[in-house]
This record gives sequence, structure tokens and C-alpha cells, in this order.
Amino acid sequence: MDGRPLHVGPQPEPLYLRPRLEPRLNSLMAAHGTLHSLVDALGSPVHVVVPDQIAENLERFRSVYRSHHLSGQIFYAHKANRSSALLRRLAATDAGVDVASLGELQHALGAGFDAGRITATGPKNPEFLWLAARAGVTVSVDAAAELDQLAALVRSHALAPVRVLLRLSGFETSGVKVLSRRSRFGTPVRELELLLGAVERHADAVDPAGVAFHLDTTSVAEKATALEGCLAALELCRSRGLRPRAVDVGGGFGVSYLAEREQWEAYTSGLTAAVLGRRPPLTWGGHGYGLRDEAGTLRGTLGLYPAHRPVAGAAYLDELLAQPAASLGGRPLAALLLEHLYDLHTEPGRALLDQCGLSLARVLEVRDQEAGGPLLVRLAAKADDIALEDHGVLMDPVVLPRGGAGPGEGPVAVHLFGSLCLESDLITRRTVFLPRRPEPGDLLAFANTAGYAMDFHATRAQHQPAARKVAAWQDGDAWRWCLDDQFWPITPSRGAQ
Amino acid sequence: MRYDSITEAIGNTPLVRIDPAVHGLRNIDLYAKLEMLNPFGSVKDRAAWSMARPLLAEAVEHGSQVVELSSGNTAKALAVIAGMHGLGFKSVTNRMRVPEIKDLLLLLGAEIEELPGQSECLDPTATDDPLTLFHRTLSASGSACLHTDQYFNPRNTEAHLTGTGPEIVKDLDGRVPDWFVACVGTAGSSTGVTRALREEDPSVRVVGLVAAKSDFIPGIRTIDEVQEVGLFDPDTYDTMESVRADEAIEGMLTLNRRCGILGGPTAGAAYFGAVRHLRALDEESEERRTAVFIVCDRVESYLSYVRQRRPDLLGRPPRKNSPADLSDAEVGRAPSIGVADARRWIDTDRPLVVDLRSPYAYAALHIDGSVNIVDELFAELVRGGLPFSKRQSVLLACPVGEQSARYAALLTRMGHPDVRSLAGGIIAWRDAGAPLVRD
Repeated sequence: MDGRPLHVGPQPEPLYLRPRLEPRLNSLMAAHGTLHSLVDALGSPVHVVVPDQIAENLERFRSVYRSHHLSGQIFYAHKANRSSALLRRLAATDAGVDVASLGELQHALGAGFDAGRITATGPKNPEFLWLAARAGVTVSVDAAAELDQLAALVRSHALAPVRVLLRLSGFETSGVKVLSRRSRFGTPVRELELLLGAVERHADAVDPAGVAFHLDTTSVAEKATALEGCLAALELCRSRGLRPRAVDVGGGFGVSYLAEREQWEAYTSGLTAAVLGRRPPLTWGGHGYGLRDEAGTLRGTLGLYPAHRPVAGAAYLDELLAQPAASLGGRPLAALLLEHLYDLHTEPGRALLDQCGLSLARVLEVRDQEAGGPLLVRLAAKADDIALEDHGVLMDPVVLPRGGAGPGEGPVAVHLFGSLCLESDLITRRTVFLPRRPEPGDLLAFANTAGYAMDFHATRAQHQPAARKVAAWQDGDAWRWCLDDQFWPITPSRGAQ
Repeated sequence: MRYDSITEAIGNTPLVRIDPAVHGLRNIDLYAKLEMLNPFGSVKDRAAWSMARPLLAEAVEHGSQVVELSSGNTAKALAVIAGMHGLGFKSVTNRMRVPEIKDLLLLLGAEIEELPGQSECLDPTATDDPLTLFHRTLSASGSACLHTDQYFNPRNTEAHLTGTGPEIVKDLDGRVPDWFVACVGTAGSSTGVTRALREEDPSVRVVGLVAAKSDFIPGIRTIDEVQEVGLFDPDTYDTMESVRADEAIEGMLTLNRRCGILGGPTAGAAYFGAVRHLRALDEESEERRTAVFIVCDRVESYLSYVRQRRPDLLGRPPRKNSPADLSDAEVGRAPSIGVADARRWIDTDRPLVVDLRSPYAYAALHIDGSVNIVDELFAELVRGGLPFSKRQSVLLACPVGEQSARYAALLTRMGHPDVRSLAGGIIAWRDAGAPLVRD
């Protein structure tokens, strides 16, 4: 193995990261005419959401519940996308919604969710708390102080008792110690007795429906530890005479973004080699995505979302439920939930939005570099409009040529720049390989952006617009669309829906 | 052979020739270096002892805890060495995926910490990756610890440079093998042995084996992961090749079943990779050549690993009286009774109510007067025959009435005249407002 730097010579093999496209999104991606006319009409960039897909994803989660005979609610984590169309489409199903702000709560109520299908989580201001209590939604309580605040609101405004879930954190294990990042949310389990004291003091104002956690981790073991801890917490509730009914395990079930594992492996190996100087750089300015070279040894940690995941979404939930609980006789968590008669609540965001949309940006300029390096491609979009990179997700855009598929001249390497007058406005720091050279007027379609990559980070910096959003659906062989805000589950021309 | 301390038994492991009828190479003699015969069970005994030994006296003086990032054999050896010297041992890991090893470490008194997984809502600018945090805690704790640092410690390599390597040459009557094949984990053994062999004869060819990228073979790193190892130097190896988990198990089976060498999956990977690499070279070869690979540890700790990937290898004969033998039709015909009728039946005929849920669920809430026999135990009981008198009527209850229907069908088939399943289970019972109690 020669292993010495080889910075010279021809462009190496292109490293593609082809997006995973399920049939519905694949069909939309192929509707070049529709997508071009959308950008012609509304300007670049444009986000397209696909409401029918979220209903299909919901059904996948439901089928995991059914296979374990579990009841309970699937609460869509609204924060992952502001779209009205997606929310209203879900309102027409039996799903719930998890809201994290006053605006999101208003949006959910206005979309047709009744209070029984809404939970309020996250940091809450007094107005949010009041509307939640007034409407009768379930409140996920962060700490004893919030419980006091809620009870005071209920009493002073003569409201009905509010259903609460007690959000817990800091779970401990016996035997192997499973470390977890510290969370700013939730009450540490070792303070549970104090919290339950507060629940009992406020028995006239709150109804403890169960306990909750949300861990920001991809690790199944950590979540299994937390769920096991919740079962112990619920037993403590029952021993004090309370009658809790549910565990909310939060979200974080993940999405697999890429079609092929081999491409992801080849890319990450390539990036490692590039960081160690064993192949030409694969990024703008030699950025290492968290990796660095220290005297020939790789240091740091790859700060990228694991873009190809063998187990994600509903399958991840299934795996979590199959984990054995060591402190409870090694029985699987699903069996324990069932036989303890607990409902299971989940709060998927990204996973429910898998395959639910794409983002379009027009190519404004294609500039050749003198040294024959990657082309410099400027898009009519800001990096924050297509925020995949903000979540560490690396995935190739699809080129939608203006004049139909051209002859194509083979693969090219490009750098994708945004439209801000700012050095760091890069759509991605990665050198992207495209199967053909893009031309001004072509569209680049970024697949699977509905989870966190559409509006979570978008700004109106430099008086540039934030992207418009439309909802699209299939009508026979054709794709129809309307503005996101105009979409309702009864929108005309949606046929028999 | 008599020793004053078990650590003196580390090293001087046998070199055993593999029967050519097994590997099929005609011109190459293939030898296995049986590192699994080290006293704590693996090649890591050498490195652990070499790294810890010079620091032990001071550690004992300060009462330090021995700390290492290890998911397996190094942790095992260090746990034993620490224990022998009255010191604690902590293993920090994100790779410990073999439950038997975890249990064994706990048995040896080790403390295990598993690093957190990657953040789902990733912040690419975050710098608090788990390993950085680990090193920060080590340096900041102020508390005494002995960090052996196996991925960077030159004494890891040295144990093999002065031990394993020269032993191989000595056992080959002073000749250096033509090929040396090693799996790359910390790179300690492959680097140390290679250096020792090349000092004698630079013409030795060295094959480094890594795991295929999405695969997991205990003790072996993938081609990217080896880059994170301080001891890893690509120039050590003439070639790097990858081995898949199924190939490692295939190789392990050959060693276990045909060669009488009870090596684990890492050994299997080394054997498989060695034979695969040598097969083409064997054809070209005119004269006798030799090759050596390392049998890193033993198979016994990896039964769950095998069960997960090749359940067929651990197949057992079917047992009798198992609910799995029932047809759907039989289960459909199982006698069952709804909640309202069941309550009346309990009041009038006093059937034995058997709750099949776990003791924890039973303790939390149950039907008054019921007995708890958890499903796993019930399955064992039934295997031996009817656990109730035929004159005792029985009501079986489970969460939703599915398992209880299976067992009601099974007991009926076994000849019990009056066993019924609670339709809809304890959940239907609760939903109907029937009482559940805690004792």
C-alpha cells in the first residue's frame, strides 16, 4: 500500500451520494415540466411538500404498534416543518401532534386537531401554557416549577384539571453504565419523589397521565435505558396511589437518506483519505467535517448525519421495543409496556417527514475554474433555504435540465454556492459530483428536505426572500399543486379524497 | 511448568500447523499462532501486561483506577491485572456489542461506561464528541488514573516486537515465514510482529485484514477506523484486505470443527483472509513456503454473536408441547370467555385464574385472587405435561388474549377439559371497568 500523498493526476472517480427516492417522490422528481413551471411562477427557491406521503408514513408507525398489540398515540413533531398542508393532511388521520410553541399550538388547533390529540412540549411561555390549559391539551411538564406555574394558572382561571406527562431525564442503569449527553430538559429521575410530591399537592389542578422522555441520540441502547427507567418511574407513581397510563418515548427515529450503502461507505472512506492527504480534497477549502490529520493519524469525529441507515423510522421504533429490560427479567420493552397496560406515545418528526418533499433551486451561473478544478455553480437560493448541511446530511441534488435531458458530457465536480454576498454561503462544503454539467436555467432538486431542512433555519437576510412552499399531490398520472397555505384535505381536484 | 505468578504464563504460545487437507494449499505450510492460550484468553494479555507493568507500583501507591478504551480482550486482561494488584478498572467503550464479554467484565469487577450515541438532531459545529469528552475527563479529573492508551502506547507494539515475533521465528527453526497475516485492531500485534520479522528478513510479505465497512467483527477495525489508531502505519502492510462477518464465521467454523482450534471470529477472519490471499500465490509457488496467522482469542465468548448472524449453527431439535406447534385453526378454536361472563364464572365456579404476564406487571395491577405464572415459566411447565388437575377449571389471562388463547388451545389438546382464555386479556378487563388490585 503506497499511502503517500498523490495530489496530482487526473480527477479521481466521482463519489456519488444518490438520494433514496420512494415511488411517490420519485414520480414527482420525474415531473420536470411541473417543477420548472413551479419555479417559473413562484421564483427560486421553492419547497414542495407531499401531504399524502405523511399519511403513509404514519401507517408504517401504526403497523409497528399493531404488531406489538400496543395502543397509544403517534404525535407528529411539528417543529420539523411549518407546512400547513402536512399538518392538515395529518389532522384528517388519527395521528396526534406535538407542539413546541404558542404559534404551533394555534396552528394545530386551526388545522383541525382537537385537544385530545395534542401535546405541548419544550420551553413554554405563560401564553403558551394558558392556551394549552384552556384548550385542554396534554402538557409535557419539564420541571416542578413548571408544574407549580401550570397549577396556579388552572386555579386562577378556574380551568379544568390539565393532563400532564412528567418529562424525565438523567436515567441511571445498574451493571453497565450507559452515558448520555446532558439534556437541558426534563426532571432528573433521582428527583422524581419531589416532583410526585408536587403532583400530589396539585391534585385538584393536574392529572398525571404518565411520564415522558426525549433523548437526542441515535443510540437504541440509551433510549432503552430511558424507557426502562420510565417503567420504574411509573411503578413508583402507582405505589403512591397515582394511576398513570402512558409512556412518551419522544422521537429521534431517524431517516435513511441515501439509496446505496456502498456510496456512503466509499464517500466516508474517500473523505478520510482526503483529510489524511492521500487523495485530492473532497471539500471546499479542505474542510474535514470534524476530522483532522495529526501526524498521519486521524483525529476528531465525523460530524455528519449517518446518511445511510440500515434501520430508521418505524423500524427503529420496532428495534427499540424489542430491547430487553435487564432490571425487569430481561423481557422485551414492548411486552412490558403491554402487560403493564401502558399506552406508548411517540413523537416522530424527521421520520414522519421522510420522503415528504423536495426543494428546488435554479442554476444562475456556471463558472469554469482555471486549473480544471470543480465548476463553481451559483444557485438562486441561500444555504439556509436548503438546510441539509446544517443537519450534517450529505446528499446529491438531481439535475432537472431546462430543455429536457441533454446529451450529457459525463460526470463533473462542482461547488454549490448560495446567493448571499457572504463567503460562507455554501449550499454544501462538499465537492458534489453531478452526472452531467449543469447549465444556467436548469433546476437542482434536493430530495427529502421536509424534515428540518425547509424552514427551520431560513432567514430573509439581505432582503432575499425565504422560499415559497407548495403542496403537491397525484391526480392519476399527473401532479397537481397549490400553495401550501391553500391546501386542505378537501382541496378540489383531489378527487374522492 | 511452575510459576510464581499467572502473569509469567503470558506468552510462549504454541505455533500449530494447519492440516493441508483442510486448507487445500499444496506448497504453503500454514501455521496458527495460538494466542488464545494466553492465561486470560487472548493476544491482548501481552499488550495489557506490557503497558500496565511499569506503572503498577505507582498506581498501587496512589490507589489509581486503571482506565482503557476497550470493548473486549484488552479490558478483560486489564481487569484481571488490576484486580491482582488491588486496583479498580474501568472500560469506556462505544463498541461493546457482545453481551458475554460485558457480563464477563462485570464478573471480573470491572466498571463499564458506554459512550453516548451520535446526536439525532446533529449540530455539525459541536466539538463535544464522546472521545474528546473522555480525554478531557481523564486529564481534568485530578483523581489518579492509569490510562494504558492501547491505541497509541508504543509498549503495546513492543510486547509483540520482543515476544510474539521472535517466538514465531524460533518455532520455525530460525526461519522467517514468507507471509504473515494479521487482523488489525489496535495494530499492536501486527506492527510488533512485522517489525520483528522484517529485522530478520525484510522479504516477508505482510497482509493486514480489516472488517468490511458496514460489518462488525469483534476486535477488528474497518478501513476508516484503523486510521484513528496511533499505532497504525499503512507502510507496515504490503496489502490491506477486508473480510466480511459471514466469512469470519465461516473461517471460525473450519478452525473449530476441522482443526480442533477453538478460536473466535477474529481468528476465523485471519484464517479465512490468509487462505483467500494465499490460494493464488500457492499455484505459482514452486518451492515450499510458510505463512503464519494469529488466533487471537477463543470462541466461547461469541455464542450470541454467532446466534445473531448464523442461528442455523445453533439449531436445536424441536420440543414437544410447544405453543409454536399449534395451527392457526387450533388457536382459533381455543375456548375463550368474555370479561362479563368471566366475572360471573369466577364468582360461581371459582376457576384458577392464571396471569401469564411478568411478575413486575402482575405486582403493579392484577385480577383479585389470581396466581402469576410468567409465560416463559409456563412454557417450561407445560413441556413436562399438564400442570393442573383436570378437575380444576382454569382461566388464562395475558395482556390482549393472544398468548392465553395459544395456551388454552395447547392445554385443551393435552386433554384438559375446562381451560378458557380471557378474551381481550387484561386490557379488555380494564377497559370494561372490572377491578384490578395491588396486593
